[in-house]
Amino acid sequence: MKLTTKQLTLCAVLTAMALALSYLENFFPLSLAIPIPGIKLGLANIVTVFALYALGPGQALLILLARCFLGAVFAGNMNALIFSLLGGVTAMLVMIGLSRLRKLSVYGVSVGGAAAHNCGQVAAAVLTLGNTAPLYYLPVLLGVSLFTGALTGLISACLFRALAHTDLMKG
Amino acid sequence: MKSSPKLRPCGWDALVVLLVLLLAVGCGAAVWGGNEATHDLTAVISVDGETAETVALSSLSGPEERTLTANGYTLHLVLSPEEVYMEAADCPTQDCVHTGHISRSGQSIVCLPARVIVRLEGGQKDESAPDVVIG
Repeated sequence: MKLTTKQLTLCAVLTAMALALSYLENFFPLSLAIPIPGIKLGLANIVTVFALYALGPGQALLILLARCFLGAVFAGNMNALIFSLLGGVTAMLVMIGLSRLRKLSVYGVSVGGAAAHNCGQVAAAVLTLGNTAPLYYLPVLLGVSLFTGALTGLISACLFRALAHTDLMKG
Repeated sequence: MKSSPKLRPCGWDALVVLLVLLLAVGCGAAVWGGNEATHDLTAVISVDGETAETVALSSLSGPEERTLTANGYTLHLVLSPEEVYMEAADCPTQDCVHTGHISRSGQSIVCLPARVIVRLEGGQKDESAPDVVIG
C-alpha cells in the first residue's frame, strides 16, 4: 500500500483520535448500569466507520491495528490486546462487507460492526478464560450493541454531513 | 472520499437490526435455556479455566467467605445457602463486584483481570425470575 503524505497524516490523526475516544469512554462507564466485563460505548468505532468510507478498507485496518497496539501499550495491559484485536478485526471485516452493500446506510453498517465487535470480544473471553461462561453475556451484549451501534452511526452521519464540503473529503 | 455513505437510516438497516436481534434471541435460547434441574444449586469456581472448587450451596449452614488469589489479584467471594456474591476485589474494573448477588442456575460472576469465574449450576429453575436485570 502506497500512502501519500496527506493520507499518512490523516491516518496518524485518526489513530490519535481513536485512542483519545477510547480514553474518553472511561468517563461514561456503561458497566455501572449493566455490569458486564468490558461493556462500553465503542466510540472509537466512529473513527473506524469514518476511515472505512473516507480512506478505504486498507487504511481503516491500519488505523485499527495501530489503535489496538498503542492502546494496549499505553494501558500497560497486553492481555487486553487479544480482546481489542479480536473485537476490532471482527467488526472491521463485517463492516467492510456491509459497506459494500450500497443499500445500507451508515447506521446499518455501524450496528453490524458493534454486534460483530461484541461477538469477537466474547470469543476472546472464551479463549483466554478457557471457559464458555462468557457466552452467557452475549445475548445482552448483542441487545446493547443495537443502541451503541445506532449511537456511533448517528455521530458518524453527523460527522460526514459536517465534513461533506471540506477539502478533507475531496482528497 | 473513497465512497459516500448513505446518511439516513433506511429499511435495509432494519434488516441488520432484525438479524442482530434474532442472533441475540437465538444465543439467549441456547445459553439460558435447557438448564434442567439435576442436582442441588452448585457454585463452580474456576481460575485460569480450571475448576478450583465446587461448592453445593445447600451444604453450607451460613455465609462462608473464600479468598481467591489469581494472576496478581485478590478477590473476596461470599457463598451462602441462597446466593453468591463478590464482596470485594482489588482489580481495576470492579465488574465482578458490580455484578452483585447471583442466586439462579446459569448465572455467573466473571472477573476478567484475575481470570476467575464463579458459575451457578443445577438447582431448580425459577421461571418467574427475570433472566437479566439491566440497570
